[in-house]
Amino acid sequence: MGPLSRLNHFFWEYKYLFVPGLLFTMVSAGFQITVPMVVRQAVDSIPRFVRLYSLYEGTPAQAEFYAYFFVTLILFALVIVALSGTSGLFMFLMRQTVVVASRHIEYDLRNDLYTHLQRLSSTFYQEYATGDVITRATDDIEKVRRYIGPAIMYVTRSLVMVLVAASAMFVISPTLTLYALTPLPLLAIAVFFMARMVHRRSDLLQQQYSTLTSRVQEALSGIRVVKAYTREQAEAEAFDEESRGYRTRNLDLAWVESAWRPSFLLLVGVSTVIVVWVGGRLVAEGAITIGNIAEYIIYINMMTWPVASLGFVITMIQRASASVLRLQKIMDRAPDIADGPQTNPSIQTLEGRIAFRDVWYRYEDEEEPALRGVSFDLPADHTLAVVGRTGSGKSTLVRMIPRLLDPDSGTVEIDGHDLQTIPLDTVRRHMGYVPQDVFLFSDTVANNIAFGDLDADREEIRRAAAEADLLDNVADFPDGFDTHVGERGITLSGGQKQRTSIARALIRNPRVLIFDDALSAVDTATERNILRSLRERQGNHTLVIVSHRLSAVQEADLILVMEQGEVVQRGTHETLVAEEGLYADLHEKQMLEEEIQAF
Amino acid sequence: MADDASDDHFEEDSVDEVHTFDGRLLRRMARYLAPYTWYIVLALFITLGASVLGPLRPWLVQKAIDNYIVVGDLQGLQWIILFLVLALVGEGLLSFAENYLTQWIGQQAIYDLRTTLFRHVEKQPLSYFDHTPVGRIITRATSDVEALSDAFSSGLVTALGDLFKLFFIAYFMFTLNWELAVVTLLVMPLMVWVTFWFRRNVREQYRETRKQMARINTFIQEHVTGMHIVQLFGREEEEKERFEGINDDHRAAHLRTIFYYAIFWPSIEFISNVALAAVLWFGGLRAMGGSALTLGVLVAFIQYARQFFRPIRDLSNKYDTLQRAMAGAERVFGVLDTDESLEAPEAPVEIDELEGTIEFENVWFAYEEDNEGTPDWVLKDVSFTVEPGEMVALVGATGAGKSTVMNVLLRFYEIQKGRILVDGHDIRDLRLKDLREHIGLIPQDVFLFSGSVRRNLTLDDPGVDEDLMRRAAKTVQADQLIERLPDGYDQDVKERGSSLSRGQRQLLAFVRALIYDPDVMVLDEATSSVDTETEALIQQALERLTEGRTTLAIAHRLSTIQDADKILVMHKGEVRERGTHKELLAMDGLYRKLYDLQYADQAPGTPPRGDGEPADERVQA
Repeated sequence: MGPLSRLNHFFWEYKYLFVPGLLFTMVSAGFQITVPMVVRQAVDSIPRFVRLYSLYEGTPAQAEFYAYFFVTLILFALVIVALSGTSGLFMFLMRQTVVVASRHIEYDLRNDLYTHLQRLSSTFYQEYATGDVITRATDDIEKVRRYIGPAIMYVTRSLVMVLVAASAMFVISPTLTLYALTPLPLLAIAVFFMARMVHRRSDLLQQQYSTLTSRVQEALSGIRVVKAYTREQAEAEAFDEESRGYRTRNLDLAWVESAWRPSFLLLVGVSTVIVVWVGGRLVAEGAITIGNIAEYIIYINMMTWPVASLGFVITMIQRASASVLRLQKIMDRAPDIADGPQTNPSIQTLEGRIAFRDVWYRYEDEEEPALRGVSFDLPADHTLAVVGRTGSGKSTLVRMIPRLLDPDSGTVEIDGHDLQTIPLDTVRRHMGYVPQDVFLFSDTVANNIAFGDLDADREEIRRAAAEADLLDNVADFPDGFDTHVGERGITLSGGQKQRTSIARALIRNPRVLIFDDALSAVDTATERNILRSLRERQGNHTLVIVSHRLSAVQEADLILVMEQGEVVQRGTHETLVAEEGLYADLHEKQMLEEEIQAF
Repeated sequence: MADDASDDHFEEDSVDEVHTFDGRLLRRMARYLAPYTWYIVLALFITLGASVLGPLRPWLVQKAIDNYIVVGDLQGLQWIILFLVLALVGEGLLSFAENYLTQWIGQQAIYDLRTTLFRHVEKQPLSYFDHTPVGRIITRATSDVEALSDAFSSGLVTALGDLFKLFFIAYFMFTLNWELAVVTLLVMPLMVWVTFWFRRNVREQYRETRKQMARINTFIQEHVTGMHIVQLFGREEEEKERFEGINDDHRAAHLRTIFYYAIFWPSIEFISNVALAAVLWFGGLRAMGGSALTLGVLVAFIQYARQFFRPIRDLSNKYDTLQRAMAGAERVFGVLDTDESLEAPEAPVEIDELEGTIEFENVWFAYEEDNEGTPDWVLKDVSFTVEPGEMVALVGATGAGKSTVMNVLLRFYEIQKGRILVDGHDIRDLRLKDLREHIGLIPQDVFLFSGSVRRNLTLDDPGVDEDLMRRAAKTVQADQLIERLPDGYDQDVKERGSSLSRGQRQLLAFVRALIYDPDVMVLDEATSSVDTETEALIQQALERLTEGRTTLAIAHRLSTIQDADKILVMHKGEVRERGTHKELLAMDGLYRKLYDLQYADQAPGTPPRGDGEPADERVQA
């Protein structure tokens, strides 16, 4: 079983479902197996009854016999119905325990996975594509569930059925049993191989489906190129080719699936034919009765699925093991940004003094370091601005402050403590962060803002929105603050999103507020309004602003100019404009742009 | 009973939308099957055969028991056994043929529909793609078409097959003993009712579980993407609870589904056993009454009581299949019914070669209208002429309308007012193909198809040979760049770690354009993020590319166009200034400002640097 043993504790945890479940399985199978015995009794009794009945033809006793047989036959019928009913009841209970347990375990597994995902840092998310994570949380867990629930149920049921039925058959006639059962192991083997073929071929089909999908995706995303180079015909032919491939794969799969029922039919049918043939001879020899033949036919039918399911179960288990391994890869991953032995739990509040001491950082898939020896000191309640060209390391720098990244070397300090000694919860609780790429949840505007502070009431939400200059927009939304945004709601403009994201950070009244190029999508007037609100808060928080636009940083107490991961200039707006260098260039450029716009 | 669990595995299908049956839609779907009429007829015959052979077997078993086993005629028994085996093998082969053939028919029809759809979408103009999300079209061409596949393959033929089967089972039962047949058939309505009851509830539950699964998907998708927000705002605990809530709803939906399954399978088993008990009881009584009821008949009926179930269940599935297909068909046909493609001119002007004159005459263009229906003009009364062999540059700030000039010249969009002439012909009188073949376009954001560099250069055109490609690459000096890649021309351009910078991609686009050797070149220069080395390469490549060729270039780096024959300065949709570099500088107007801006942050000592920002690359990939 290997990797699957990791799941064993679940069986223990849900023993109150599994133990009765397995009992129900056996009881159900037991009752089901007895039905054919009664049928045999009935079938064998009928000719005897008929003979007896005709023996008393013309005598008064005949009527008495009729009543007697009538009752007996009704009894046979009732016993069959009762047995079948009881078996059915237990079958019901079996599914309601074992399969239900598997759903509980699925639920637990998925929660565990999600909880773990929340602990993992951005390095993990850079490594794994979102789709990959989703597949694990859905498909892989489902495959594991099939092993836990249905697979175990089938195995138990099959074993009980096969053992009981085979012994019942054996008692009647060992010869006939041997003959009749010969095709059944073949059936299990055939099912195993076919199930494997089906799985393999559907994997291939799935692959081709992805190819086909990406082909469409690409042709449509690149439609300009396709049209500009008049490649429509060629693209269409390439698409035909992939569609043909898909058709072929589909038919490959159809081939196995079409062979599925017939092979099933053939193997079961052969067993029935053997029963009639060999059984017929035995009846002629007087070794067994015709009732036995009926009984055997029912047994064979009854055993078919349990035996075949054994073939399934093997592939189910194989798939589940692979899935467990895939899940483990995530579950065994230790969170790289987390509290540790160095954490000092007594630090519960932050003042907001930030210092970088020779901080270096390099992203894993890049050659050049993104930060090279960055150092600065920022007293609490002051404003820091970071400017520079795209890719100069600005965002990397500010991501270190809330510990979205840990430096490769050097230290980040807050209030004189190494950031890594402050409990992560304390760090995050006192920070408000507005990221460069705005991310909102598909929820209402109010909930998106209150994401920053769950206890916030409407008034506070309104105030935060006002500070972020969002209030007028909200008034225009169909349901005001209760308007849904995102997929199933309205689409916000880039600027509106950015301001919602700002409100979300402001509502926290954080000790440290970080704007990572968070004003890029708003116009200058809005920018001015937001900056004014920030100014009103001045003295209540440490503010860190990354910006392309210099207008946003002019009032900062400290401006860092970054280039290729290094701080190349530092000072205030006044000192930097006076100095020859990147800052002055950027400043001049911006003045010109404004002039051109006004042209 | 036979495949109790198979339903857990293979039939987890359901309709997502309730859909009424629409005859018009059905007829339209049928048109895709029309080419395969004879195959369908064949499939029907095969199905008919398979449907007889199944119910024939219990009948043969009856003969075996009554005529041979009871009387001990082993010789005769062998004959019956032979027939049984033949019937069995026959049924097996026929049902295989039926399954495969119907699948084959379905796949052919699906292929036809899918490729028709693709061709239809592909010929739509760019404006269509502006208002139709690519994701939606992909869904139409893949999963919606897929929904039709089951209906195409197994719809009619198999449904008829199930009816045949029911008919033959009844037929054989009545031939054997009509009274027992009636007794057995009495449970049929119950079985039908249970099956449909089950189907209805399970369908609802499946819809629910799918909905919940989709919620889980969305939640994870959203929270994986925004995990940093969750972490930054310390919302782990609350989000975990929300997730557990959704997960719990999902579980609850499944638990209800389990409940229906838990009732359904035992009920079916129970009902067929009731039929069995009734047959034994009634049969026994009739036997005493002196009727001709034999043991063989009893055994046959025991089997028939169990054969009924499958066709009933399969029929109940058909309803769902068809509904899903209708929903898919409606969406797919919806795409096919929207045709915005440009009409081909009735008498197109034939062109073999272009001189290269391009004239814009008072061109007005808007991508869209505002709420009141007034067009939001992007080009306002633009007029200019490019003479053969000339190099004309368009400059201006972002949003000035430069790229739009290209878009309307290549007729990606139709202008609303004015005329665009190429060699004196209105472009609306030319075949689109001719127009675009003779005017080569190099866009700013070069789109790379997945696959090798070679594929991206030749666009899989078999007419382009290796030599031509290599020569073109050499001409623009892209050969060094390509040869430096680990796999050279066979390098997969989208593979991790081999991402090409914007400048490098544009070089590839130059090669691509050169291979197709157009008479007129339209070029949208790459903006920023070009490293000095590539910049120099591009510069030289441009010179070779435009040599003696009519060229219309959108320039972002004014350094590249100082030799242009004419420079048009665009601003807010209008041509504000025109002239040569020197003339324009002397004017000291907009051009001058743009020129200064360009050099503002390129002061001495800070050379422009290609910083190949990672975010950029990812957007492209």
